Amino acid sequence: MKMFGIIFSNIYDAEMGELTRVRTVASLPFGGRYRQVDFVLSNMVNSDITSVGIITKYNYKSLMDHFGDASDWDLNRKNGGLFIIPPFSSGQTTVYRGKLEALHSALRFLESTDDEYALMCDSTIICNIDYKAVLKSHIASGADITVVANKDSEDTDTSQELVLSTTKDGKVTDLAIDTIPTPDQVMGMGMYIMERTKLIKIIEQSISHGLAHFERDFMQKQFIAGSLKINAYIFDGTVLRNKSISSYFDNNLSLLDRKISGDIFKTERPIYTKVRDEVPSYYAETSTINDCIVADGCVIRGTVENSVIFRGVYIEPGAEVRNCILMQGTRVKKGAKLTNVIADKNVLITDNTTLAGAPTAPYIVTKGLTV
Amino acid sequence: MNNRSKNCIAMLLAGGQGSRLKVLTEENAKPAVPFGGKYRIIDFPLANCVKSDIDTVGILTQYQPFELNSYIGNGQPWGLNRNFGGAFILPPYQRSKKTEWYKGTANAIYQNINFVDRYNPSHVLIISGDHIYKMNYKNMLRYHIEHGADCTIAVLNVSLQEASRFGIMNADADGKIYEFEEKPKKPKSTNASMGVYIFKWDVLRKYLIEDEADDTSSNDFGKNIIPKMLAGGKKLYAYPFDGYWMDVGTIESLWEANMDLLDPNSTFKLNDPKFKIYARNYSVSASRISKAAQVENSLITEGCDIEGHISDSIISTGCTVEKGAYVHKSFIMPGAVIGKNAHIEYAIIGERSIIGPGAKIGSEQDESGKLSISVVGNDRNIERNTVIQAGDVV
Repeated sequence: MKMFGIIFSNIYDAEMGELTRVRTVASLPFGGRYRQVDFVLSNMVNSDITSVGIITKYNYKSLMDHFGDASDWDLNRKNGGLFIIPPFSSGQTTVYRGKLEALHSALRFLESTDDEYALMCDSTIICNIDYKAVLKSHIASGADITVVANKDSEDTDTSQELVLSTTKDGKVTDLAIDTIPTPDQVMGMGMYIMERTKLIKIIEQSISHGLAHFERDFMQKQFIAGSLKINAYIFDGTVLRNKSISSYFDNNLSLLDRKISGDIFKTERPIYTKVRDEVPSYYAETSTINDCIVADGCVIRGTVENSVIFRGVYIEPGAEVRNCILMQGTRVKKGAKLTNVIADKNVLITDNTTLAGAPTAPYIVTKGLTV
Repeated sequence: MNNRSKNCIAMLLAGGQGSRLKVLTEENAKPAVPFGGKYRIIDFPLANCVKSDIDTVGILTQYQPFELNSYIGNGQPWGLNRNFGGAFILPPYQRSKKTEWYKGTANAIYQNINFVDRYNPSHVLIISGDHIYKMNYKNMLRYHIEHGADCTIAVLNVSLQEASRFGIMNADADGKIYEFEEKPKKPKSTNASMGVYIFKWDVLRKYLIEDEADDTSSNDFGKNIIPKMLAGGKKLYAYPFDGYWMDVGTIESLWEANMDLLDPNSTFKLNDPKFKIYARNYSVSASRISKAAQVENSLITEGCDIEGHISDSIISTGCTVEKGAYVHKSFIMPGAVIGKNAHIEYAIIGERSIIGPGAKIGSEQDESGKLSISVVGNDRNIERNTVIQAGDVV
């Protein structure tokens, strides 16, 4: 039973504000050395999926730069491989609004493969999951579609999320969108498995009926009409949902928790990313570093606490960085003080600058800016 | 079918066991020994080739080739996965007439004449896999061509005392070599050979065949080929190189070269975006440095979990340093675990080795100036509270 993957790269761009002004949510940096899409893509690769289409809408140059020839994910293949699917728009249609329309642009890709099952995933969910087990559950259930879900009692931001009631064996008995789950309900993780031929049929029918959204227009309507059998695969590992700037900020810092990072970074199922050939990070005698995630290529000469430091960040002596996310190539100069700041790529913080945000609303410095 | 040719290809002598590295080369050829946190020694000559636009590298090896083989793979991490050219591991192989191991450096090239001929190069660069340096061979090749040399040898200006450890090239003012002395007791000059040669391929090819026919020869570049070419009136030139260069063939020099990476006054700069060193990547997450950690003048690679005190040390990919552990002036190889309250000074800890809690390895050096570095081999399990003395190798 062979499965191929589809990743939606732009669906939740609007939620991330400034951070997705020049990139897709898929290419948003996460965890010191990754892009968000690396997690879902690595999960696919580690589940023996060798053919993956990534559906894009706009701003996808950052994605193409990131993937290159896809060899860092072992997806430079003759049979299958990684395909970037740019938006398709003919006279009548505009660039897609929802997943159904997005899938329409991927019809050619769906028709060109002969793998029997399609796995469709959002790119904003960080976890380490074995999709082979999900496929097994899907086949055993006999359902039309399987949705991956988990119990997430702490999450109160349920916008656009599927909330499901299920029987013990995973049969979905109620499906709601945008509501707070009760303790025995589970929340969808934006990952679906369907038979390829069924999916193609649904896309074609939906487009001709003017439907745009996969969850609302297709799943929920068909389910209520009683014509869609849904299976839920309950995932019990750690799930980080990056659906707003504040959750993105918290989730980055949560990697400091050994239990969380241990559950996401597993040596038997590694997370792959673009190789940048950075040197090991240098910590000077003047550095003080407490509870940080640090990637390669950094020079730390100042004080850094409770922060995520991406590749190639330079922190000068006397600079103080607390509760921050500093993306690739940030330079913090002497005497600068940053608290609750997200610095996008290649930001320069000049001497003695003080920037402070709130933990719930971090201060964002946009890409390439000098402050 | 294909008549393409190359201006210059490289042959990298990855050679023998490197027995002076003791336990570190038990199951590993010297070029595959880790260096500098995320590299292997061979990454340096390979990066030099890539920087010099040399995209065809034959790697000659006959000792424990597995590690090296899987490390090099198809050459992709170095951009050496080429359609015409690329990286090739060339072990000795069975032939119809006779089969033999590589007898010497020259014999290793001799046995691969067919490989070189396939690229029909004008020049062949011969380098070795156990030196740490950054060198753009393009400049040397230009010098070689401008002088119309049959062979150009890169030389380093060493001190007079050091000179007797090297092959010394005595040359006249314009660089033409008139005499070669292997480890002279009374050196006449201080031009030490770095083991980097560029030959005109047609000239070298002829000398390799002649040398192979000479039963008295030990088939070595330094001992046989160079003296024979000098005697034969060939044009040999010395190309002066003034950058950092270190033969890391011994425990002490391997340790020292690693420590040089932490010296702000060292001329060797690892971090140069215009001259990157490439390495195979291990897909590990970024490092975690906890509250209990204290890090001073050290390099830490990705994939580490640090809770101890680290000073003047190199911590390689995927290491763990537990609470209360103290690591000073040491080189910790990939995947090693330093247990709670272990105390490590002036040491090299091998790949994936586990140092038990409270173990004490190495000690502050005495004043004699002679280094005594303690070494723990690869995949060792050092029991709790074990004491390993300065200079001991386990």
